[in-house]
Amino acid sequence: MDVLILASECDPATEIICAPENVIELFEFNEALFSIGPLDFTRTVVLTFLAMFVVLALFYFGFRRVRVVPSKFGVAMESVVSFVRDDLAKGTIGPEGSRYAPYLLSIFMFILVANLFALTPGINFPLTSRMAIPLMLSIFTWLIFVIVGFTKNGLHYLFDIVWPKSVPLALRWLVGLIELVSVFVLRPLTLAVRLFANLVAGHLMLTLLLGSGWIFFAAVGDIGLRSVIGLPWFAFGLLIFVFEFVVAVLQAYIFTLLSAVYIQTSVHPEH
Amino acid sequence: MEEIKGAIALIGYGLAAIGPGIGIGIVVGNAIQAMARQPEAAGMARTTMFLGIAFTEALALIGFVLFFIA
Repeated sequence: MDVLILASECDPATEIICAPENVIELFEFNEALFSIGPLDFTRTVVLTFLAMFVVLALFYFGFRRVRVVPSKFGVAMESVVSFVRDDLAKGTIGPEGSRYAPYLLSIFMFILVANLFALTPGINFPLTSRMAIPLMLSIFTWLIFVIVGFTKNGLHYLFDIVWPKSVPLALRWLVGLIELVSVFVLRPLTLAVRLFANLVAGHLMLTLLLGSGWIFFAAVGDIGLRSVIGLPWFAFGLLIFVFEFVVAVLQAYIFTLLSAVYIQTSVHPEH
Repeated sequence: MEEIKGAIALIGYGLAAIGPGIGIGIVVGNAIQAMARQPEAAGMARTTMFLGIAFTEALALIGFVLFFIA
């Protein structure tokens, strides 16, 4: 679903069919770029490492020298850290939230960088539009809130979910069943699919708009003055580009916020 | 009855998006009302709004998954 490959394979003179062959592509890894021993390095894996190094570099250069008056970049990084720690971790989980702040900060920064890869010229590929990566992140969150729930409350954590005391007796089994599925299956699934779906939709929209604009411009020799019709597509694509920036930041925020809320329900299950 | 052909999954997703669309509208509308009435509680309202959106959106996301399964 690469913009350039898609656009260059289209032949505007004959018939414009630019659909990807099938959607399975989103769930599988492409062929390996190179391999070290038994490990295949696909584009997704290489970009995952790149995102990791970008996050590490941001924090390294932000907090290289801790000074009384930090540099401008240091202030920016400090505000990100304090936003995640104070607003997200402590704000939702409570005073115990600072224990989970490192995890939340890591996933926030990783998802932010991975999402912004969609808009980085030269990469133009949101890492999180491959199902494996949001699924892995949401499985981490799932493991954390399940383990915290069981260690903090013992088996009461499970009993409170399947047998909620605040519900009338006649409905209790039904609500318990719904809650059981919702907590242990739907929570991690929707967490992963929300990120994945938003990024796939955004990437697809950018591909279609900017790609069709480019195709019309490129076909100026074949269709002459009619290629002007590519101009509104291109302009609309640039508008969506700005919109996608907002979506990338917002989805990173929502993923982190929901992780914090899910951990909070395990720490204080009565709420 | 003759077999229905074509991208039926698209119609299914469209139907699945109606409910969450209305739901998100209600959530955001009420959150804006809350923020307008009590601007000092805007931060809390915003966080809760995003939470409500996230839970409402889950239905649309299940529809999105069905698109891939079908």
